[in-house]
Amino acid sequence: MSSAVSLQGITVRFGAVTALDGVDLEVERGTLHAVVGENGAGKTTLMRVLYGAQRPTEGTVLVEGEARRFHGSKDAIAAGVGMVSQHYAIIPELTALQNLMLGAEGGAAPSRAAARVRAQDLADRMGFAFEWDRPAQELGSAGAQKLEILKLLWREARIMILDEPTAMLSPADGDALFGSLRVLVDAGATVILVTHRLPEVIDHCSRVTVLRAGRRVADMAVADTNARELASLIVGGGDMPEGATLGLGVDGLARESVRAGAAVLSVAGLTVRDARGHEALKNASLTVRPGEVVGIAGVDGNGQRELFQAIVGAVRPTEGKVELEGKDVTFAPPAERLRLGLRLIPEDRHQEGVIEGWSLEENSALGLQRSFAEGGRIDESGRHHWAQRVADRFSTRHGGLGLPMASLSGGNQQRFVAARALEYGPRLLLAFSPTRGLDLKGTADVYDAIRARARDGMAALVVSFDLDELLAHCDRIVVLNHGRLTEPAARERDAIGREMVGA
Amino acid sequence: MPNVLVSQTLALSTPLLFAAMGGYASERSGVVNIGLEGLMLTAACAAAVAAPHYGPYAAVAIALAVTVLLSLLHWLATQVYRIDHVISGMAVNLLAAGGTNFVASLANAASSDVPHLPVVGYEGVALGLPFVVFLYVRATRGGLRLVATGADPDKARLAGLVPERVRLAALIATGLFAGLGGTMLVAYTEGFTNDMVAGRGYIALAALVLGGWRPLPTLVACLAFGLMSALRIQYAGGTVLGVSPPSEFWAALPYLATVVALAGLLGRGRVPAGLGKS
Amino acid sequence: MRWRILALVAGAVLILLGALFISHVGPVTALSALLKGSLGTAPGLTESLRQTTPLLIAGVAVFLALRAGLFNIGAEGQLIVGALACTLVALRLPGVVGMVLGTLAAVVAGALWAWPAGAIKAYRGGHEVITTIMLNNVAVLLTGYLVAGPVRAPGGDTTTASIASRLPNLLKSGGFSVSLALPVAILAAVALAYWLRRTVTGYELRAAGANPTAALYAGVDPRRTAVRAMLASGAIAGFAGAVQVLAYEGRFYSGFSPGYGFDALGVALLAGESALALIPAAFLFGALAKGALSLQIEGVPKGITTVVLALLILIAAALRSRGVRKVA
Repeated sequence: MSSAVSLQGITVRFGAVTALDGVDLEVERGTLHAVVGENGAGKTTLMRVLYGAQRPTEGTVLVEGEARRFHGSKDAIAAGVGMVSQHYAIIPELTALQNLMLGAEGGAAPSRAAARVRAQDLADRMGFAFEWDRPAQELGSAGAQKLEILKLLWREARIMILDEPTAMLSPADGDALFGSLRVLVDAGATVILVTHRLPEVIDHCSRVTVLRAGRRVADMAVADTNARELASLIVGGGDMPEGATLGLGVDGLARESVRAGAAVLSVAGLTVRDARGHEALKNASLTVRPGEVVGIAGVDGNGQRELFQAIVGAVRPTEGKVELEGKDVTFAPPAERLRLGLRLIPEDRHQEGVIEGWSLEENSALGLQRSFAEGGRIDESGRHHWAQRVADRFSTRHGGLGLPMASLSGGNQQRFVAARALEYGPRLLLAFSPTRGLDLKGTADVYDAIRARARDGMAALVVSFDLDELLAHCDRIVVLNHGRLTEPAARERDAIGREMVGA
Repeated sequence: MPNVLVSQTLALSTPLLFAAMGGYASERSGVVNIGLEGLMLTAACAAAVAAPHYGPYAAVAIALAVTVLLSLLHWLATQVYRIDHVISGMAVNLLAAGGTNFVASLANAASSDVPHLPVVGYEGVALGLPFVVFLYVRATRGGLRLVATGADPDKARLAGLVPERVRLAALIATGLFAGLGGTMLVAYTEGFTNDMVAGRGYIALAALVLGGWRPLPTLVACLAFGLMSALRIQYAGGTVLGVSPPSEFWAALPYLATVVALAGLLGRGRVPAGLGKS
Repeated sequence: MRWRILALVAGAVLILLGALFISHVGPVTALSALLKGSLGTAPGLTESLRQTTPLLIAGVAVFLALRAGLFNIGAEGQLIVGALACTLVALRLPGVVGMVLGTLAAVVAGALWAWPAGAIKAYRGGHEVITTIMLNNVAVLLTGYLVAGPVRAPGGDTTTASIASRLPNLLKSGGFSVSLALPVAILAAVALAYWLRRTVTGYELRAAGANPTAALYAGVDPRRTAVRAMLASGAIAGFAGAVQVLAYEGRFYSGFSPGYGFDALGVALLAGESALALIPAAFLFGALAKGALSLQIEGVPKGITTVVLALLILIAAALRSRGVRKVA
């Protein structure tokens, strides 16, 4: 039995939503197997089933030939399965060593000295270096991911799942990752790679399975296919939405000329401290003109959040100025910036964008609540019409405007939030990973809308960890590295990648 | 007379210490617990009611068992029914208040022939407890899992932990520790009265916050509160700086001190990150 | 997960039946004593409604704070300082003027008593559960001291003198009477319901309570909202104290409140998301408070009604915590 993993007929339903419908997956031992599809196709859900984090509504899971019923990740780990999730399950408050040991401590009162020796040994084997007793907070994205890989080795995982591993990495770190994966596979591990970036599949994997809308549509050897074919399988016949990024370096739309005139947003010498008092943003300066779409590239944790928050007004900078439509708003509250036409698509809609327990209608007014009021009283019918407009803009699927936001899937919630930001007289759009959780069509729709508004004079600032997406849709790209904002020499992948790591 | 002050401080701090360690166990695992008051009250009542019939040691055991059961109710409410932690805590307090009134009335536990429970050893255990807890968290697997669950239950789950189970053990510990605090109160008095806990459960919580959710600073905070109460007994009716404050002033001092301390940023920023998260 | 709720209800019923069994009182006897005592007689109903009034107003106060995400356990302290302030002013100024200014004094006193908790929570992160409970204790001690000494009426008891004027009755016939205070209380609940659902400031308060970060990004200042909410909550609780003095008690004394502020939290929690539900919730609490005394006569200690209320709060909270089903 050379099959390390065999998933048969896996179906997963959440309420009325079917995330997976009868999916089969066979993974051969000692290979690097890719599972591809766009956002919402079900890749992560399928892997969570394999990792015991999601119970399938129907279907069987076989690991190394044995049928398994996982009641939690503990069981999957015991069966030799390990997963590195997209957003890293590293607990910042614990040390690197503690994170490594958690769940597999090796006894009720484990010897820290022995643990350190073993940890160092594993790290040496992979060529990693760690300060074991420093808080894990200090690890960057690449460091966190390396620690996650070590966690798999610590637990002697033979089957390793990596979910979108290069999403938060610079191009250089991404390449290094595949070097590490090669080492693991050569040592006999089975690696399943979940990704939407096709070059990674073509360059490194031996087999690929394609998921679309919860179903398996293809499964073949990489040698027997090519990027074009995979792309069309992912999208499912018909044309690729314009600007679709599957890592293929699709050229963006023809750029309209940017309007001359006074900058919509002007940031000068901005310095912001993070929660721990370190300077997360150092002396950053940036101008965005009417009609311009500026992208902010960079590895996560290099000041993007602080820049975003300073422009919104959620934090006060220690130095510098922020000007919106010519007015100094450095210390102005968010309400005033919203009045000037600032619109937001926040990074985490759950924490920052919506109120899950409220209805869609009440959510539609967040940020605009004073516009639907007459002398303190809420204009309910006006707001209702507005909510309808917002829902229709990107075809948000919902069960009724009076139902709570929580009844919508993540992708639909994101559509709603994006529409809300773009529909009501935006002068400056501030977007952080605006297409998070959106499939290709949704992504294309949102960027089309941004482009359309830009033609009317709206300025846009987009933060994203997906460099391909920025290259496809932005007029200009700037890079944040350790809090410093720079503009790379050329608007192309290598130059930007170098700026991202400060080479 | 410093000796008397020291012994009084110790005596007054120890119920707080027990309750605060109970609060620590719960909150470190991520469960907000404002029901410490109710737990202590339950333990006190159970001990007072059981002592005449079963003797002092059995009474303590029964009291602890009942308190653990009440603590498990909080676990059930927050982990299984996903009720807001503060609401559940208040409900626990209400249940305890009503339940103890009910039981005490029927059993006439306010009589004066309740034997004194063993006092010797309470203070030693209370003072040693924070150190034991400290070592437990630093050096054992259970301690690491406790802290991890409280810091981020979702990530802990991905690492193979079951947060609900970690919290189950934590809340049992809460019941035991807070229960000891309650039985200790009864050991000092003759019988049970409805308001005998007198807000100690909340002061213990304040001590925990002021101690930044760490056992040893919490110990210091509890001793500080105990000292304040001891000073009140010493100086009640006497003069301070030529002024003779009413007894109510001294009684109010610990409460005011808590408010001032919380206003002074003490303990802020060290909240277990996953506190209150299911 | 309906069976879970059923299990909870079954557990609650078992506990109650067990309690009745221990007191050697049958459930039917107990229930009829309860109902007759609270609703079955004119004086009984009068007293039930009388208990309802402060519970309803204080319930409104706590409910408002809850919607802003704050647990105002300090309604008790805010109520009694308000009551004392009202009494002191009304003793010095006669008639309607005295009553109006007394009410104003109560509102200000209550707001002031709540302010530290609001400010500490908003700007220092100190949990308001602790600060409000501490302030409660201080309020009891402070008013206790004042009424035992400086503002004591001549005579032996710890009480102030009595005010001459009172709020009139709405209705009085036979053994039954209901004060004007009750419709005032009901109006307060209705006004709050309207304000929360239909006004922009109510919307913003709810947003700050539901998700402070999202509210911030929507142009609401969560900190200022928190402080204002606590001030308003304290003011309304103080108002409850004033109403209690002006409609029923006519004076302030040691032990003035049997825990209205604490019960108000239960009322607010029971009411859930709807301010209008405060009205039946307060009535339930009030009737049970009256009925408990009748139960006591039958041999069931009054603590059992507190247990009933605690169980109701848990069941109501469990019902509300059920997850939302994904539809798209």
